[in-house]
Amino acid sequence: MLLIGYGNTLRGDDALGPMAIERLRTLLTGAEFVSCHQLGPELAERLAESDLALFVDAADGREPGTVEVKRLSPETVAGTSLTHHVQPAALLALAQTLYGRAPQAILVTGAGSAYDSEGLSEKGYEALIEICRLVPLLVRDFPT
Amino acid sequence: MPTITIDPVTRIEGHARITVQLDEQGEVQDARFHVTQVRGFEKLCEGRPFTEMPALMARICGICPTSHLLASSKACDDIMAVRIPETAEKLRRIMNLAQIIQSHALSFFYLSSPDFLLGMDADPEERNIMGVVRKFPAMARDGIKLRQFGQRVVETLGGKRIHPGWIVPGGVSHPLQAQQRDQILAEIPEAIRITRSALRWFKGQIESFRAEVRSFANFPSLFLAMANDANEISAYNGWLRFIDANLDIVADHITGTDYMNYIGESCNEDSYLKSTYFKPLGLANGMYRVGPLARLNMCKSAGTMQADEELAEFRELERHSVLSSFYYHYARLIEILFSIERMQGLLHDPEILGKNVRAHASPNKFEGVGILEAPRGTLIHHYRIDQNGLIESANLVIATGHNNLAINHGVLQVARQFVRGKTLEQGMLNRVEAVVRAFDPCLSCSTHAAGVMPLDIRLLAADGELLDRLLR
Repeated sequence: MLLIGYGNTLRGDDALGPMAIERLRTLLTGAEFVSCHQLGPELAERLAESDLALFVDAADGREPGTVEVKRLSPETVAGTSLTHHVQPAALLALAQTLYGRAPQAILVTGAGSAYDSEGLSEKGYEALIEICRLVPLLVRDFPT
Repeated sequence: MPTITIDPVTRIEGHARITVQLDEQGEVQDARFHVTQVRGFEKLCEGRPFTEMPALMARICGICPTSHLLASSKACDDIMAVRIPETAEKLRRIMNLAQIIQSHALSFFYLSSPDFLLGMDADPEERNIMGVVRKFPAMARDGIKLRQFGQRVVETLGGKRIHPGWIVPGGVSHPLQAQQRDQILAEIPEAIRITRSALRWFKGQIESFRAEVRSFANFPSLFLAMANDANEISAYNGWLRFIDANLDIVADHITGTDYMNYIGESCNEDSYLKSTYFKPLGLANGMYRVGPLARLNMCKSAGTMQADEELAEFRELERHSVLSSFYYHYARLIEILFSIERMQGLLHDPEILGKNVRAHASPNKFEGVGILEAPRGTLIHHYRIDQNGLIESANLVIATGHNNLAINHGVLQVARQFVRGKTLEQGMLNRVEAVVRAFDPCLSCSTHAAGVMPLDIRLLAADGELLDRLLR
């Protein structure tokens, strides 16, 4: 099982992914953790070696503080360049194409409210708490 | 609180613009490459403590923050007038080599390989890295692995891949551990295998790119790079040297603020990118090139065994210097090989695990210059401070600025070949894109989000009327 939290730790609530990973490290055993600025193609090989991948990211455009969970499938995303940020579904497709398999995958997003300040906003913190409550349950219940 | 106003802000966009100017007879008279992004780092750092510069300047770029970190730290070393510990210098050199590996791998495999593998005239929807992933997965896997090697070295030394903070004024913040050294050494054989394999493949393809070799910014020019006593590739230490197309030295032993006597910077009304030129010849005649092609033309030998074998073959391409900018790609692969070998040598040096890695001092000078060979070419950071150690002024001379006149000249060369009458042909767009990409300009990082270089090419009549326009 591979848990990947990504985001810019200097951009307020965008730090939700990496901060969630730091907390989840202490809550889950038997998992691998990756905390990174953005998703890159270098993660594709590790994904191909995992049975379950769980991506944690910040989201915008929803009610701040809410958490959304959705299943992901490999998907070729038009315009993927691999130089900067790669979408999680595109990364799964890359794992599938280059390394022969993609894991089952879930994307967990927490909606923040402030991205131009240091540290999490109040709503961002609420989302963080909810993510850390939800993820161990998701992992436990996920059929692999 | 002081307010920094950057005006205009409306031109912040990730597109390059190219204008082709026709004369009264309808022949191509000029072609201009415009960069429409402003960054403003030289202004926004004013008033900040000089010790903040490495961390701040690293934010200029997400692909080569390490290069700015190193050049900035060297400028700060100069302000403090310290000679950093030998171990620290060797560790910084490893970091710089890792940066060259990961950046060159990105340029060759991610950005340029679609042109080589899928063809210059292939549909842009297919001619991108995902097209390579689908049709040439082994090559894509190798590219990812090689770049990952460079990134891992940066991460191992600096704590993270993007914006590492380990390089500081006076040296580095902490020493290398034996376990970290062994971890890097263990990955080197695979990195060498991939690079040699890519070199073999590329050399086998050159014949099919004869037209591009002939027309891709292929002209005599000066070259600028760092030089050293051994006349080997010099990426971290040394002085600046200019050579001409016959490999004769034009100016040598340029250090510190002396660069200002040789490098002129011209502001352009139609682009935020400055054009630099060899000052003694003036703007009109002072065009020069920097980067992998310049470095290989400059050195007598690379300085490592396998890279020297490849360099000998590279030299057979031309009688004097290698002039076609298409060969930047080839030079990049040879430099990757050199960087891996040199890194291996440095890691086997017993001093590399030394514990004395940082010199401490207060400012001892009001001015400092840091010069480095970044992947794309010579990088200069020049700071002036006040008596409180606060930045009074900063001047950054970057690789893409050094190459700007040559990029413009290359675009003109392609325009003359491909513009027919009052229309722009699709073939021109592809070639312009590829000739600009051969230089691996910094904007290529920032404008490749869609897998292609967003371009806006305008064909203007002698009276300024817009005759045709191609957008991608």
